[in-house]
Amino acid sequence: MARATRKEYEGQSALTDVMFNSIGDGAVVTDEYGRITAINQSARKIIGVSEKEAIGAWFPKLFRAYDDLGRQIPLIERPITRAFVAGQIITSRIHYRAKDGSMVPISTTTSPIMLNEQPIGCIAIIRDITKEYEIDEMKSNFISLASHQLRTPLSSIKTYSHMLLDGFMGPLTKQQDKALKTIISATNRMNETISTLLNISRIESGSIAVSKKPISITQIIEEVISEHQLAATDKNIVCSVKCPDRSVKVISDSVILKEVIGNLISNAIKYTPPSGIIKVSVSLKNERIAVIKVSDTGMGIPKESRDSVFSKFFRADNVIKQETSGIGLGLYMVKGLVKELGGDVWFESQEGNGSDFYISLPLDNSGSRRTTKPKLVKK
Amino acid sequence: MANILIVEDDKDLNAAYKVILENEKHRVKTAFNGLEALNLLKDYTPNLILLDLLMPIMGGLELLEKYDLKAHPKVKVLIFTNMENSPEVTKAYNLGALRCIIKSWTAPQNLSRVVNETLSNKTLTKA
Repeated sequence: MARATRKEYEGQSALTDVMFNSIGDGAVVTDEYGRITAINQSARKIIGVSEKEAIGAWFPKLFRAYDDLGRQIPLIERPITRAFVAGQIITSRIHYRAKDGSMVPISTTTSPIMLNEQPIGCIAIIRDITKEYEIDEMKSNFISLASHQLRTPLSSIKTYSHMLLDGFMGPLTKQQDKALKTIISATNRMNETISTLLNISRIESGSIAVSKKPISITQIIEEVISEHQLAATDKNIVCSVKCPDRSVKVISDSVILKEVIGNLISNAIKYTPPSGIIKVSVSLKNERIAVIKVSDTGMGIPKESRDSVFSKFFRADNVIKQETSGIGLGLYMVKGLVKELGGDVWFESQEGNGSDFYISLPLDNSGSRRTTKPKLVKK
Repeated sequence: MANILIVEDDKDLNAAYKVILENEKHRVKTAFNGLEALNLLKDYTPNLILLDLLMPIMGGLELLEKYDLKAHPKVKVLIFTNMENSPEVTKAYNLGALRCIIKSWTAPQNLSRVVNETLSNKTLTKA
């Protein structure tokens, strides 16, 4: 191939510059130290800087990133650092504080520039997603409000049904007792469906609010089992809890954790034949991780379906044949929620021999030294 | 036995929670919005406030901002809402609420259990 003449090279370089500056999304190129070596017109417009101000500036300082709650994202968690350290493309949504003080939602895709398998810089593609963000927020607010409005009457139905059942308004006949249990069971199913739709919408839009605090794992499990006791008793299923140390606390969100465990217990009840057994146990994987296990003696998951268990709208063939109600979103939601809690979920199952679902969660180590010997769980 | 203030705009639910908690031998006062609660709290210090978030006139968050739990360290607040996993709940925690319970999930026996456990301070501490 003939060597390009200086004129041709300058022509190509000018063309590349024109193309770079014509990209509709912002593009920023940095060296291995994070200093900006090139920035296109769209990026300059988003950040509100001139080319002169940007070239040579340290990108993380020029372009400060904030999370949804307005907290500055530490350097180690910034997409540019993660892309550089991991040598992988990182896509994320952040906020940038504009010169007028307003927070601008930004979508970023940051790619490491690799030479001989070593990162020598990064390219960040940034896009102002204010409009998409507003639409997402409207959608999220609508679902939130709709869920709230649907739940308000459900709260009254549930509270008063339980009060009747618990004898607050006097004794019931057997028929009345049975009718009330049917009402409560239907109310619980509707509640679950609303929660699932709300959570999936929030997980997918990245708008779920997680408030992590040290919480007692046994207390949460006991509350969830208590809420599902009627459904279990109706099928003559025994639910038991085994927690060697009641003082075990995890760093988690109590509402989300209740939804996760509730979903696994609800599935276990649904897919376990009458007179079955459900066991919920807690063990320590190591000094940092607690593992919750929900075991049932149900129909199990067929081998060929195991890879799809946490997929959206998944329902195993043996479940569909039994005509058990469900829309196949529960475990997809569980996976998403557990990720939000900083944990993991997995399972072991054999068709016809029940299933064991596991959730791992970070332990709260802020309290006194633990005396319980960690019981190792194989993942 | 403890002094409990229920702040809930739904009259039926407010009445039901009062019956449930009085059945547990607690002394219960009720308010139907944040402003009513704030007026009651001028000369009344409950051990626990069971607080809804979305209410007319004054919501639960505004009540928490105005009442200032740091100035009332002995008062425990449980959020009782149907707005799960929402930024409002996070704000309530930041203002000193101890725990959030979802109304439509919670049967009376669990409401009593959470209230009693919170009062006995077995597992919860302010953030």
